[in-house]
Amino acid sequence: MCKKELILCVDDEENQLAVRKLVLESKGYAVLTAPSGQQALVLLAQHPVDLVLSDHLMPGLTGTELARQIKGQKPELPVILISAVNEIPADAAYADLFMSKLDGPIAMCENIAVMLARAKDGSGNSSGNGSSSG
Amino acid sequence: MDPKVNILMVDDQPGKLLTYEAILGELGENLIKATSGRQALDCLLKMDIAVVLMDVSMPELDGFQLADMIRQHPRFQKIAIIFISAVHLTDFDRLQGYQRGAMDYISVPVVPELLRAKVSVFAELHRKARELELLNRELEQRVFERTAELRESEKQLRQRADLLDLATEAIMVRDMDGVLQFWNSGAEAFYGWSRQEVMGRNVHQILRTKLPGSAEELESVILKGGRWEGNLVQCTKDGREVVVASRQVLQSDGGGARRAILEINRDITAQLLAEEALRKAEKLAAMGRVAGIIAHEINNPLEAIRNAFYLLQHHPTLDDNARVYTRIADEELTRVAHITRQTLSFYRESKEAVPVSIAEILDDILSLQSRLLERNGIALEKAYRSDGQVIGFPGELKQVFLNLIGNAVQAMPEGGRLRIRVSEAVEKDQQREGVRVVICDTGSGIRPEDAKQLFEPFFTTKSTKGTGLGLWISKGIVQKYHGIIRFRSVHFVRGHITAFSVFIPKSASPQMSESRALSSVSVS
Repeated sequence: MCKKELILCVDDEENQLAVRKLVLESKGYAVLTAPSGQQALVLLAQHPVDLVLSDHLMPGLTGTELARQIKGQKPELPVILISAVNEIPADAAYADLFMSKLDGPIAMCENIAVMLARAKDGSGNSSGNGSSSG
Repeated sequence: MDPKVNILMVDDQPGKLLTYEAILGELGENLIKATSGRQALDCLLKMDIAVVLMDVSMPELDGFQLADMIRQHPRFQKIAIIFISAVHLTDFDRLQGYQRGAMDYISVPVVPELLRAKVSVFAELHRKARELELLNRELEQRVFERTAELRESEKQLRQRADLLDLATEAIMVRDMDGVLQFWNSGAEAFYGWSRQEVMGRNVHQILRTKLPGSAEELESVILKGGRWEGNLVQCTKDGREVVVASRQVLQSDGGGARRAILEINRDITAQLLAEEALRKAEKLAAMGRVAGIIAHEINNPLEAIRNAFYLLQHHPTLDDNARVYTRIADEELTRVAHITRQTLSFYRESKEAVPVSIAEILDDILSLQSRLLERNGIALEKAYRSDGQVIGFPGELKQVFLNLIGNAVQAMPEGGRLRIRVSEAVEKDQQREGVRVVICDTGSGIRPEDAKQLFEPFFTTKSTKGTGLGLWISKGIVQKYHGIIRFRSVHFVRGHITAFSVFIPKSASPQMSESRALSSVSVS
């Protein structure tokens, strides 16, 4: 349990990704970053990620599409989409949570904590960090 | 052209017949000879005889007997008969006994000129009679043909009249003074005026027609070009204002002395309203798209900045002063985030619509505004006749009433009265049950010219202070609940009273499809 939980953070905008990573690290998480959905899928296959936090509107793969693909492989892995759009996309339900970037860093971190706790409860006494192979 | 007529000569003595033939030959008519009464009857039946010339004394059938027989036949009642006789008194008596028809006699010895003259008079008479008959027959034929033509055109007219009445367009004819001469069923149905009511009256007075230009202009266009087309605003009998697409044609009657104007009007009121609604909807949709893009473009950097300030605030090297600066900056950024969320986004905070008390929401809002109300000298009157239970998203409903109450307060910088009423209500049109909230202020009022645009995006009367989106957003939310938002602003000598009324139906919960995707905030 002393091992840091690993969050995969996805965004196509470099600054935002970097700052978000710092915020998450300040909260004690280990953070991997990917500039696109495709990259995220590659990293996901290589690392024991505990939670994915992704932007929605990205070139190539959108956040909801990424969530759909992740859920196809690892249904238990929590996926949070964080977006600046004001209309919730129709396929947002693939993610566990669709939150607004306007909610701010505190709400974002709280949401992540809740999702991680829920994933831990759901997986019962099994291997802790969901590291099932893809 | 003068065709010959037939002259029948009857005598039992062939010699006499030859004499008559010689006398009458120069008349140039057809001379037919019969040597007995029977032969004469035979000829009469077969031919069209103009004059019968006969000897009175004949064996077997004498002249008078023959004349009687001829007269009995309806076809020969008017035939001209000339008797040739040695005159006896008795003969005169008998001759006078014939009452009808041309009848004459010649005494023997026959004077050729006299015989010729008498026969010729009768022949001419016959010829004229025959011509007359011919003319009569022709006339009858022409009358018959004309009658048939008239009947046909009457049938066509009736068909056209039926067609005119079948048309849903209002069709009318007026004279050059505007007096109505024709008014079809379509006009009756559309304007509500019956034919009897309008006939002989002035069309413009009845329909209170508003022309796009002056009446003189329209008249001169019709007189010059023979026609006019355009839209008119008119009034129906029950006072409803309608817009019609009108076509008017000048009808001149040959010399142009008697003239009339034919007018066909089609109701385009609903069409115009639909077009207007469509334009508005398109505009709103476009604004929505723009708002979405702006929101996205602002929210993205905003998040990064807020995250950066969050990090900065917790940075160990920061001294106390710097910490205060970052706190202030962070507070202001939170406000910016709040503003963009309020104006440019429609995020919902709960997953499912829940039972909400509108009265509680109003109290929440009012408690936040209480200090402002006090400071501005605004007296608050609450009249809650219901706690206003509906199914919805509290945040959205709060947004609606926050906007309305905020506007009311801002309209009363010099103080006034804010009256808020909540009641159970039944909406008239569809008999739906729901909650009605009326928010009433004694502020600066709404100018009539602003009324139409009040709910349009980016319309504001607060110059730089307002975003112009508050009422637009409120209306959007109310419509999502299938509710109604309307207002009334009344001007008095001492000021204005402005009331916004919001009706939220109980049954219809807001469209959930899009909200279902949104979880969140189980955390907060």
